[in-house]
Amino acid sequence: MRLLLLLLALSLTALAQEGPPPDLSPEVFRIARELRCPVCQGESAAESNSGVAVEMRRLIAEMLEEGKTAAEIKAFFVERYGEWILYEPPRRGVTLWVWVLPVVGLFLLGLGLFAYFRPRRPLPEELLEEAERRLKEPPA
Amino acid sequence: MTPALLGNLSVALALAFSLLGLALALLAYLQGDGRFLKGAKALAPLTLLSALVAFVALEWALLTHDFSLAYVARNHALQDPLWVTLVTPWAALEGSILLWGLLQTLYAFVASRKPLDPWRASLVLAVLFGIQVFFFGVMATIASPFQTLPNPPANGTGPNPLLQDHWMMAVHPVLMYLGFVGLSVPFAYAVAAMVTRRYQSWVEETRWWTLIAWGFLTAGKVAGMWWSYEVLGWGGYWAWDPVENASFLPWLLATAFLHTAIVQQARGAFKTWNFAFVTLAFSATLLGTFLTRSGVIQSVHAFAEGPVGPAFLGFFLLATALGLGLLSRVSREVRDVAVFHPFSREGALLLGAFFFSGWALVVLLGTFYPLLVEAFAGAKVSVGAPFFNQVSAPIGAGLLLLMGVGPLLPWRRARKEVFRNLYLLLAALALGTLLGLLRGYTLGASLAVGLFLYNTLAVALLFAEGVRARRLAGLSPWSFLENRRRVGSLIVHFAVALMALAIAFSQTYRLEAEKTLYKGQAWEVAGVRMALQGVRALDEGRRFAVEARLSTDRFGEVRPRLHFYPQMNSPLPSPKVIYTPGNDYYFLLMDFDREKGEWASVRLVVTPMVFWIWVAGVLMALGTLYILWPASRPEAAREVSPA
Amino acid sequence: MRGWLWVLVVAFLAGLFWWGMQRNPKELPSVLAKERRPAPDFTLPLLPPYRAEWGEAFRLEDHLGKKPIVLNFWASWCYPACYEEAPVLEAAWRRHRERVLFLGVNTQDKEPEALRFIAQFGLTFPQVFDPRGRVAVDYGMYGVPETFFIDGEGRVYARHAGAIDEATLEKYLKEMLP
Repeated sequence: MRLLLLLLALSLTALAQEGPPPDLSPEVFRIARELRCPVCQGESAAESNSGVAVEMRRLIAEMLEEGKTAAEIKAFFVERYGEWILYEPPRRGVTLWVWVLPVVGLFLLGLGLFAYFRPRRPLPEELLEEAERRLKEPPA
Repeated sequence: MTPALLGNLSVALALAFSLLGLALALLAYLQGDGRFLKGAKALAPLTLLSALVAFVALEWALLTHDFSLAYVARNHALQDPLWVTLVTPWAALEGSILLWGLLQTLYAFVASRKPLDPWRASLVLAVLFGIQVFFFGVMATIASPFQTLPNPPANGTGPNPLLQDHWMMAVHPVLMYLGFVGLSVPFAYAVAAMVTRRYQSWVEETRWWTLIAWGFLTAGKVAGMWWSYEVLGWGGYWAWDPVENASFLPWLLATAFLHTAIVQQARGAFKTWNFAFVTLAFSATLLGTFLTRSGVIQSVHAFAEGPVGPAFLGFFLLATALGLGLLSRVSREVRDVAVFHPFSREGALLLGAFFFSGWALVVLLGTFYPLLVEAFAGAKVSVGAPFFNQVSAPIGAGLLLLMGVGPLLPWRRARKEVFRNLYLLLAALALGTLLGLLRGYTLGASLAVGLFLYNTLAVALLFAEGVRARRLAGLSPWSFLENRRRVGSLIVHFAVALMALAIAFSQTYRLEAEKTLYKGQAWEVAGVRMALQGVRALDEGRRFAVEARLSTDRFGEVRPRLHFYPQMNSPLPSPKVIYTPGNDYYFLLMDFDREKGEWASVRLVVTPMVFWIWVAGVLMALGTLYILWPASRPEAAREVSPA
Repeated sequence: MRGWLWVLVVAFLAGLFWWGMQRNPKELPSVLAKERRPAPDFTLPLLPPYRAEWGEAFRLEDHLGKKPIVLNFWASWCYPACYEEAPVLEAAWRRHRERVLFLGVNTQDKEPEALRFIAQFGLTFPQVFDPRGRVAVDYGMYGVPETFFIDGEGRVYARHAGAIDEATLEKYLKEMLP
């Protein structure tokens, strides 16, 4: 009965069975997290369960075993998919701006605050006195 | 009377009533005639009723397995469990629009009962009815949930398996919609205020509305995070997915508004800012619904594409144009003069507002950057989670600093006594960071510890100050608890600090590894020892489950599963999560031996402190409820200043 | 906000999102095709029906540079796209078999399913079997079906993502053949 159910499971899936998949060390996931899954494009290669992502993790594991560094592994994928496959936008080229603009924004914010708090012509004495008086009144 | 007929009729009625209500409300404003307003107000319960009938009709069709309806045929199957059937209305596009419309009529009904001067009441109703006209109009024309099929099938395909794997499906979307729709009321009030030039009172009047909407949004987002964590099988809770970002924007802007509204209530300042925040928050909501339904950006959240994209784009542009147009007039007519020192409560709140807006802008930039680059340079770029994490960290740290010190600063300018508290806080920050570094944590994690201590001390100091003020005024110290706004906000602030700490640690120290185990084989990883006892299959009607039985040394038997749904060609992992106050242990079954069940491929994800994120979420909800709970003695609830 | 700035903002957003809705957000450019790189070599086992004619294993290098190659990645679970394009490919193979080599790569699939698919469409051009999808990664594939056009010098000339129709197929073939 159990065998029958397992065979049923066989017919419902599309993953081929060549033998058990390889073991993946934490390092594999650390690198896979920096790559995007080409199929489930919102997820990283570590999160996605699509066939391509599974294959990418396998490749990363194999390359780590061969002694390749993380940079070389990422370059391997960039060579095939373009820079798009990197989950973190590289700090050069057209994506440089996505890093620069927040810093520019912060600078502009500083300027804005400075302009806001710059001492202006003081308000007329009578208005300030009235404001003080109202503040000292007990709350209604 | 079939469900389809009833549904189509009630949608048409709801649209008709909304159009009538819109017309009457506008006439009331333009003619200044109270009878039109009365008529418009009378239509609010009618639209609610028709929307409710339509919703009930859809549920009726689902419960009776009426496959002549296209929506039922596409999203329902005979073997669906009852709870799945009941939540199917919001599992797909047309039904989700119906839910939104229904909630919109509910809020409009409640809003119509609030007393308001007739000029603004008519405008508020006009805006709310206008929104209803859009949603019911879409339902009546392009995206009807009650479209019928000429040849109904014997059985449908059922909802997307991702949406029926976990009970959270019943909760998260409803909470989110309650939050999104809730923002339309402050928006309506803001529009009314901007048109009638009554720039001050609207802030006080919308306080509860904003808090309620914010509360639902926060609860909905945390629920969504937890759902993603429990269900999706990757052990994470936030992916910076475009639709997640699009729903984060209104939350950020609503939070900013909650805080700057305090300044306008107390000092009359920040008028333009408050209008801007509410308008932009509502615009962001519409942007989010547009993104989810248009196929502009690839997202795991997106509904299947339909013809609704252009309609939602049009409505988003219309609402944004209206809001921005009015805003430009307000900014010309209102001058905000800073009669306060930067080092004061107002200053802290202003800086906080800037940080929130800055964060919203950065998230907006990152989400739409690929679209912009593709439009102008033709290149395909990716802006992923690492970008958002890295830019959010400093902004988050800045906000945490402000959150601690802000409430301690007095209005207008800081006095000498305040500095003692500030030094204490800074000492706590330094101490916490140092402790973290000594324990070998990274700089980021140590800083998170420091900020947590800093904020906890700030909350304690505020609490002590509140109690002391009561005692000095001759009241019972426990009467401080009656100041619901203060105490509630302290609870929420503490929860935010806790969540920040938990997020920092869970991101920095996450560990995952995958291994294929043969029957009887043991694996020791990350302090857990597990052994595979076996693999078995179960037939659960609507789906097929394969379970791996793992015996662990600490958690007994753990059984992660893979769910096979007939309509999906790859299985859905159903993880087993063990929550402990220290670490979360997340067991996933990735693959198994299909021929003989001799081996199973298991992934273990160990993330520290994730449990505290959910605790913090519950605390935030409780804190919000505390603020909203009606005070038993309103006099005792007021702020008492030290004599 | 000064005067007409907000009008510009709204108009800009309108234009951007309208344009955004017209295109497919999932589409990825092919690095190989853009840079006209030499087609990556691979050696894959052939599916049983083709072993008689082509041998046990198919090595791409043996055929590069001799004549243009149409390389089609497909899977039996990719419905409906692969099912739509299979007859188109088979018909084009029969028309051009003297001058162009058609090669199908069954990727991330199971052998019985693949054989069923082949039998259903009566595909006569050689099919190789790549269950892991390793070759797909080498070609920068992001979803089945994808068709790569390799010119007579062994360089990737173009890539078509999604089901291919007759017009596009003929267009690329005409461009590649002398």
